[in-house]
Amino acid sequence: MLKIENLHAGVDGKQILNGISLTVNPGELHAIMGRNGSGKSTLANVITGRDNYEVTSGSVTYNGIDLLDMSPEDRALSGVFMSFQYPVVIPGVNNTYFLRAALNAKLKHQGLKEINAADFMRLIREKLKLVNMDEKYLSRAVNDGFSGGEKKRNEILQMLTLEPALSILDETDSGLDIDALKIVAEGVNNFRNSERSFVAITHYQRLLDYMKPDHIHVLIDGKIVKSGDMTLAHQLEEKGYSWLES
Amino acid sequence: MTQFKQQFDALLDYWPDEDSDLRAVRNNAFDRFNELGIPNKKWEEWQFTDFSNLNKSNFRLSWAEDLPNLPDKIPGRIPNTHLILMINGHYQSQLSDLPNGITVSTGVDHFNANPEDYHMNGNPFLALNTSMMNSGVPIIVEPNVVIEKPIQIIYLMTDFSEPLMNHPRFHFEMGANAQATIVEHYIGHSNIPHFVNSVSKVKVGDNAHLSHIRILETDDHAIYTASTDYSLSKDARLTTTSLSFGGHTFRHDIKLSFNGPGAEATLNGLSLTENAQHHDQHVVVDHGNDACQSHQLFKYILSDKSSGVFNGKVVVREHTKQTNADQSNKNLLLSPTALMNANPQLEIYAEDVKCAHGSTTGQIDPEALFYLRSRGISKQKAIELIIGGFAKEIIDSVDNDDVKSYINDHVTDWLEGTMHHG
Repeated sequence: MLKIENLHAGVDGKQILNGISLTVNPGELHAIMGRNGSGKSTLANVITGRDNYEVTSGSVTYNGIDLLDMSPEDRALSGVFMSFQYPVVIPGVNNTYFLRAALNAKLKHQGLKEINAADFMRLIREKLKLVNMDEKYLSRAVNDGFSGGEKKRNEILQMLTLEPALSILDETDSGLDIDALKIVAEGVNNFRNSERSFVAITHYQRLLDYMKPDHIHVLIDGKIVKSGDMTLAHQLEEKGYSWLES
Repeated sequence: MTQFKQQFDALLDYWPDEDSDLRAVRNNAFDRFNELGIPNKKWEEWQFTDFSNLNKSNFRLSWAEDLPNLPDKIPGRIPNTHLILMINGHYQSQLSDLPNGITVSTGVDHFNANPEDYHMNGNPFLALNTSMMNSGVPIIVEPNVVIEKPIQIIYLMTDFSEPLMNHPRFHFEMGANAQATIVEHYIGHSNIPHFVNSVSKVKVGDNAHLSHIRILETDDHAIYTASTDYSLSKDARLTTTSLSFGGHTFRHDIKLSFNGPGAEATLNGLSLTENAQHHDQHVVVDHGNDACQSHQLFKYILSDKSSGVFNGKVVVREHTKQTNADQSNKNLLLSPTALMNANPQLEIYAEDVKCAHGSTTGQIDPEALFYLRSRGISKQKAIELIIGGFAKEIIDSVDNDDVKSYINDHVTDWLEGTMHHG
């Protein structure tokens, strides 16, 4: 599904990723852990196509297609999704309208009929329940007046609505209290199946306790220095990162 | 200036039997206009707006023979409204529909009853209008009358073959406890330049409620200047929304004064400019009475090489109490060559005051753009959504659904148009 090979990349002339290789197969959940500044978010931004990130060498392919050549919207339409670390407020743009526009862009891309407003409301009400979100958030502007936890739930709501094949969860646990964390993790867990893949970026083991990743990778200075299973997450929780630094 | 002198003389000849007091006012006003001249860049309050185009065409006053064949469909018509229609300055009573409870008087009668409304200040366009006022109507809403449907005044400039000018004069007067929505709607589409210099004097009586919507729709060859004066009595409520699309040059001077305590005014505006268009709005809100509130929000969306000026001033007079005033100006530049000059000012001479003001000018937020695109929304659609979101706050300030939907459609059309050519 996702294949990253020897990826070197940076932003604003600063080199951040120094040769990352990672293969994510269908149905797998990979966790990427690391300190601030280790390159976790840069990796997410390069995969999703944010401006100003420059790839100096290496490749990122998705189902065999060069992802780096595609616009952010084309990546999304092909099934790549990112839950933002800092979801953006878009004043005056209604959340429901936005969600339906996004879903319809995808349906259109797949050659399917667009969903009408009434059917969409039925669909979105079901999805809202899955993330325990109040309907009032549908009538607000995108992320406008949302608390940190509500913003993150709104990200997961979008994921559940758009049904991407590959979801990058960029610090989806940050700013969440334990109850919200459980809801978000359950939302992701219920969405998992043998075809959908996930890359969860996090500082902490907590989220992983709920999500049970298949693989854990530790990122230090823009390189994966160690990969393993949940035991690695527990070791990091106990010992920190310094024992992995050369 | 000679073209204005010629036209002024022609106007005096055209109405030889005019009321002598009115004629004296016209003569005084024209002298005043001559004394002041057309504003140039050395005038502080006018420095960002170039009126040299006024002298590049010979604008002729529009006479009865300039009335074209009546259009099959009246452009800009908003459903479920009463209509007052003027084409090239000429009132079309047969197509107009006036509700009960309002009086439309003649200009002369209004002048004789309210000579003080024809005084001038240092604004040369106001003086020019007073000297040559040749169209418009005084509309009086009687006390305690509630007009349910909006009154739409369409001032249409169409189908003319040489540069025309008009100086419409409107008086809107709301009797005590009256309620109405008035849409003052200017439409001018022609490749031939035209100049419309309007004055609107608006009085909102004790405890009356007025929603005043002003729409300007025109294109690259037109010059529109306008002065709107609001005066609010005790406990009056005023909401104004000014939507301005296009024009070579648009200058609007808005003045508001509180003539009684407890009144509240909300002034909103949205300007949309493209090509080399220029919009200049000057707003002065004068708090001279106690417990009055004013709220201003003016937004500009500027593309291509267009430019905007917002100059807003709130004055709070000495000894006034419990004043609450805020003023906000927000501008969105869609191109690196678009330009905005913003100058919000507060002049506070009292102590019991809550005031806030601010101005921001920026471009499309790249974070918001990436966020929308990362959800599969095309770049162009994402930009349209963001701009539409920026405009929404102003559009939503219009209460009437038919008027709101008309404006919303026009903003959407404008956006699609400017995105495609830009």
